[in-house]
Amino acid sequence: MDRQIKTLAVGMMVLFTSVFLKLNQVQVVQANDLANDPRNSRVATRDFARPRGAIQTADGLVLAQSTPTDDQLKRLRQYPGGQLYAGITGYFSFTYGASGVERAYTDFLSGRKASTSLKGLGDVFNDKEQTGNVTLTIKNAVQQVAAQQLGNRRGAVVALDPTTGGILAMVNFPSFDPNPLAAHDQKAVQAAYKQLAADPAKPLLARAYGEIYAPGSTFKVVTTSAALERKPELATKTYPVLKQLDLPHTTSDLPNFGGSSCGGQLPQLLKVSCNTGFAQIGLDLGIDALKSEAQDFGFASAPPLDIPGAARSRFPDTTDWLRDDPRLAQSAIGQNDVVASPLQMALIASAIANKGVAMKPHVMGEIRDNEGDVVRRYLPSSWRKPVTPEVAAAVTQMMIGVVNGGTATGIAVPGVQVAAKTGTAQTTGKNAHAWIIGFAPADAPKIAVAVIVESQPGVSEATGGRVAAPIARAVIQAALGAP
Amino acid sequence: MIGVRGAARRTELGLVVLAIIITASAYILASLGRTASLPANLVPFLLVIIGLIALAHIAVRRLAPGADSVLLPIAGLLNGVGYVFIARLDRDLAGLQAVWTAVGVAAFLATLAVVRRPRDLERYRYTFALVGVGLLLVPLLPGIGRTVNGARLWIRLGPLTFQPGEIAKIILAIFFASYLVEKRALLSRRSLPEGARSFLARLRYFGPILLAWGASLVVLVAERDLGSSLLFFGLFVTMLWVATGWAVYVALGAGMFTLGAAMSWSAFSHVKQRIDVWIDPWSRASTQGFQVLQAIFGMGTGGMAGTGLGLGDPTRIPAAATDLIFAAIGEELGLLGTTAIVAAFVTTVAVGLRIAMRARNDFEKLLAVGLTTILGLQAFIIIGGVTRLLPLTGITLPFVSYGGSSLVANYILLALLLRISDSSTRAAA
Repeated sequence: MDRQIKTLAVGMMVLFTSVFLKLNQVQVVQANDLANDPRNSRVATRDFARPRGAIQTADGLVLAQSTPTDDQLKRLRQYPGGQLYAGITGYFSFTYGASGVERAYTDFLSGRKASTSLKGLGDVFNDKEQTGNVTLTIKNAVQQVAAQQLGNRRGAVVALDPTTGGILAMVNFPSFDPNPLAAHDQKAVQAAYKQLAADPAKPLLARAYGEIYAPGSTFKVVTTSAALERKPELATKTYPVLKQLDLPHTTSDLPNFGGSSCGGQLPQLLKVSCNTGFAQIGLDLGIDALKSEAQDFGFASAPPLDIPGAARSRFPDTTDWLRDDPRLAQSAIGQNDVVASPLQMALIASAIANKGVAMKPHVMGEIRDNEGDVVRRYLPSSWRKPVTPEVAAAVTQMMIGVVNGGTATGIAVPGVQVAAKTGTAQTTGKNAHAWIIGFAPADAPKIAVAVIVESQPGVSEATGGRVAAPIARAVIQAALGAP
Repeated sequence: MIGVRGAARRTELGLVVLAIIITASAYILASLGRTASLPANLVPFLLVIIGLIALAHIAVRRLAPGADSVLLPIAGLLNGVGYVFIARLDRDLAGLQAVWTAVGVAAFLATLAVVRRPRDLERYRYTFALVGVGLLLVPLLPGIGRTVNGARLWIRLGPLTFQPGEIAKIILAIFFASYLVEKRALLSRRSLPEGARSFLARLRYFGPILLAWGASLVVLVAERDLGSSLLFFGLFVTMLWVATGWAVYVALGAGMFTLGAAMSWSAFSHVKQRIDVWIDPWSRASTQGFQVLQAIFGMGTGGMAGTGLGLGDPTRIPAAATDLIFAAIGEELGLLGTTAIVAAFVTTVAVGLRIAMRARNDFEKLLAVGLTTILGLQAFIIIGGVTRLLPLTGITLPFVSYGGSSLVANYILLALLLRISDSSTRAAA
């Protein structure tokens, strides 16, 4: 038996050696990944117990800050900005993790990256906690006006600086108050979250960048750009005055809103938002030209917003389309299955405004440490270049025409030339999403804006101009007037 | 020989003092880490652990003076470290664990006092067989059987709950040892008839292993416990092989257990769930995979040196004080701490097998092998489960986990090993 006992000893050694090796794998090789895994709630506890920097607007309003408490979590995260800023700051919740800026810049806020600002050997031995304070590009002055103007209507407003991509205002309605989600009583937190998650109005969803809608006639800016970029002869083609366009391969027709008649050349078509004309342009362009143009503007990829959750805008799948498919005509006027986020539509306006270059959208302006020294500054960079500066200039001229006597007269600001395009995307029989995109001043743009108000009564091209334009106008005024 | 015995007891005393110092320091550190203050009950705590382990040490001096000097200090250390973690995780359980430790030491004393010669145990072989199987199956009885966390391993008598399987494993080891010593010649390959005489003649050799396999399947299926099932079957196959030297039994046993597990995997949802979670806990991170992932997260967060006693967050690990206590140790003491625990078990196994080698008769040899195998295999199964080397199953880490039945059973097991050790020292003298 002694021989077997010796073998058994060896066998037991093999078993425990394999345990030891596995322990090394878990506690050394994978240790870092496991310690920082988002499902490891120890990370949240650790971050909760640490001091955490503040989040503030470009004009100095504090949106998130931590105050010491006596309980186990040690610090309470508070959001003085409440629901007005929830879609931007997000929340920092023990149970639900972090979202928005709280998530995107958590390493800076908690000081895990701000410590890169060690200035000398002395700081290594200085146990003072280094946290980062995030200053956003958002201006409270613009954000407040956008929210007041949208009021209690479901929808979203996005305003950004077309030359940098810095977001000036981003408003969602309905929204939510992040404070209850950051509270310490986790039962209450869960109750609050469940209530928000179950709300059919989807207040947790940041509509401005997280939801996609049919863009309606605002998409005609893309169709116009496609014509100028890819088939310049269409720019001088005169389209017949029609009440409705006879769609190929189908018995149905594509009518203008309210049974009106329209036609003419491209600037005139855009000015009155002529559906029959643009539907024909779509057919003249062909599938590839229109789809490629949409993709150049950012459809088919989510905008690289620096906070998580930006939705991907979509041009429909065209694999089974005929060359002159009726769906092509509908897509050219922003219907069929074309869907875009308000942020994407604002970026389209910003690309036209910024000589054909869409900058990467971002909410972070700069991050400073406790001494006020800059740890990181957002360096603007271009995202997409959908059109040439010449085409951008031509489209700008046409969008000026839309404001000066077209469908978007409601956006006109005295003393400033605005360029814009309205949209009305029919949802149900009598309701439509009211859209407008635009920028100002037209010759040296400082702000590009997109507004959507969901499910407004009235299905006519005037709906976008009537409902959305005044909101955009106020936002432009606030942005241009703000210091 | 008296001199050697005296030296062994002096070594034991030194190691026991070391175990007390480590346990007491850990207890203080855990309290400092958690609340930045000294534990309120430090003096009673010290008196109790010093008292209990001193009692055990004196009992060995009186009742088994020639026994090995390392096993008791290691058991004391594991028990002490386990207690520190239980106290750090759950104050209420800590009080109970202290009581159970006292009961365990009493059982240790009683075993040393009652079992004066190991071969006395051989006499009651079939009584043990009956009692062992009975204990194994008694949780299935309606009325007193209790299901905890899906496994039906407990019985409840009045206010007390008990896991009879913990005692059954020792009693069955005693039975296996006496049975196999008697039948080993019959069951070894040398007695296998030339040519294939008849199927029945061959069946004689495989009858016992088939029976054990059947019993392990009953445990697996009826009591829903993969860990105990593996432990019992592994124990029997190991002892069968050590007794007969016929490696075919090991291969056969491994194959049969795999087959049984595979059949149960397809037939029983609770087995399938365990295996599925083992293979991929990540896609079930918030449901069935939660437990093992929290354990893994805890150990990963601990890393090399751990977060420090009282400074981690092991309360997030479900069942951290019982089956998953190893993960809590990994979180706060890191790889250094877990390696120390593994080393303690490796030492225990090595000493246990050395006792087996030195044992003077086959019964004592085989019993020492069985008892050592129980400790080693049980530690391997649960540590392997916690680290995802094996599917996670609900068995305790000997001496460390919270659990009255487990602690009492392991102290009895320890007393038997020391008894065998002492017996061979006496025989040599």
